[in-house]
Amino acid sequence: MAEQCFRMKGTTLTSIVLDILNFEPDEFDKQLTAKVASAPQFFTRSSLILQLNTAISATEFELLVALCKKHQLQPMAVKGQVGELRTTINDLGLSDISQSKSTDSALPAGDNDAPAPAAAPANNGVAKVIDRPVRSGQQVYAQGGDLIIVAPVSEGAEILADGNIHVYGTMRGRALAGVKGDTQARIFCQQMEAELLSIAGRFVMQDTIQTQCWKQSAQAYLEEDALVVSALV
Amino acid sequence: MAKIIVVTSGKGGVGKTTSSAAIGTGLALQGHKTVVVDFDVGLRNLDLIMGCERRVVYDFVNVINKEASLNQALIKDKRTPGLFILPASQTRDKDALTMEGVQAVLNDLSKDFDYIICDSPAGIEQGAQMALYFADEAIVVTNPEVSSVRDSDRILGILQSKSMRAEQGKNVKEHLLLTRYNPHRVATAEMLSVADVEEILAVPLLGVIPESEAVLKASNQGSPVILDQESTAGQAYNDAVRRLLGEKVEHRFLEAQKKGFFKRLLGGK
Repeated sequence: MAEQCFRMKGTTLTSIVLDILNFEPDEFDKQLTAKVASAPQFFTRSSLILQLNTAISATEFELLVALCKKHQLQPMAVKGQVGELRTTINDLGLSDISQSKSTDSALPAGDNDAPAPAAAPANNGVAKVIDRPVRSGQQVYAQGGDLIIVAPVSEGAEILADGNIHVYGTMRGRALAGVKGDTQARIFCQQMEAELLSIAGRFVMQDTIQTQCWKQSAQAYLEEDALVVSALV
Repeated sequence: MAKIIVVTSGKGGVGKTTSSAAIGTGLALQGHKTVVVDFDVGLRNLDLIMGCERRVVYDFVNVINKEASLNQALIKDKRTPGLFILPASQTRDKDALTMEGVQAVLNDLSKDFDYIICDSPAGIEQGAQMALYFADEAIVVTNPEVSSVRDSDRILGILQSKSMRAEQGKNVKEHLLLTRYNPHRVATAEMLSVADVEEILAVPLLGVIPESEAVLKASNQGSPVILDQESTAGQAYNDAVRRLLGEKVEHRFLEAQKKGFFKRLLGGK
């Protein structure tokens, strides 16, 4: 028997939807140029879904696709007011997904919106307070808020919070604040001997911390995307 | 109702069984009816240390499996009145202990005894978890050495999250017992000091047992070292037992003794 050549699988992927509100070729080109220039790497060769919110002719549609390609964007499907464009869509090798279900979400708006993952501030005002030592091998996670520990944290223990972390005992383990991406989160330690500190995914290891505020009261925060550890005065 | 005390450490070879035997004996000497239960199924040692290996007929697993009664399996210590041993099985493994079986045996022992000492196996797996699950108090045996301290920290975490009292939202009372302590090596910074270990583990100190030749000798003779009151280790265990019973006793043997002129001259130890 011949070896199997393929398997069919389902997948879901996140893609950019280009909402066409009204199509005026020159103005569209100008605005798209500006948009792509704001984050060239993000848009290069991105696949794209065209959402037609206005009825356009077959010629205009062909021009629209050509302009997208000019900016290295790769339209793959069309939805919205497809109307009489079905033949053109087929001819251009695109799919008509106007009948498919989908869930849309807006990309962050603004002139200079870099495509960073949307990070909601984590604090819903509820802090988790731990008054027993956090031992090696244990993990404590404060979901949706701050974590306050009024006891030591041992080497090999891991403490995590969506918000800030405060440790009022010797901090020897790993602390990860802003784990859902809150870049404003901070870590405060009465006595800093941490193995690792991390805020919103940026981290420093013990080697670095040792050269800064070792065994002192210290805080860690993000400054221009770099994690800074400084003494608390 | 008996008080259930687990002697545990995470790491092996730090002195759990030696300490179980010494503390069990010490409690009995103070007039409390005590049983020491060996949870180290498959690596039975307690009976050797307590010098009753030739008297083991039935064991803990036989009692769990209802192949023998508790009274048949309990061994009465010949030296110390009020002291009993429940030996482990040498031919089985840790899976032979079931939660329900262990609970039933401990409940039965509870009716007759003041103290139940559970001698835990090393490790953090099922055997060790079974030994600590029903404990009211825990004696964590630690050597002044980083890996032992780390493992003790780990077992303390398990104690406060996976024991029955923890599941009920209650605390297991913790005691730190530092064994094989050598003040000379602490002085030369080869060994962690009492203060270092206390600082890392943040557990009240029950006692410091100095490294002593008497411990090995006692083990080989099958006589708990606490019975050797000439030795520093025996005296230190005695102090620890008094502290366990609530007495305030000053810690001893923490400082290096300077050898006197005559001792040096005569080559005394």
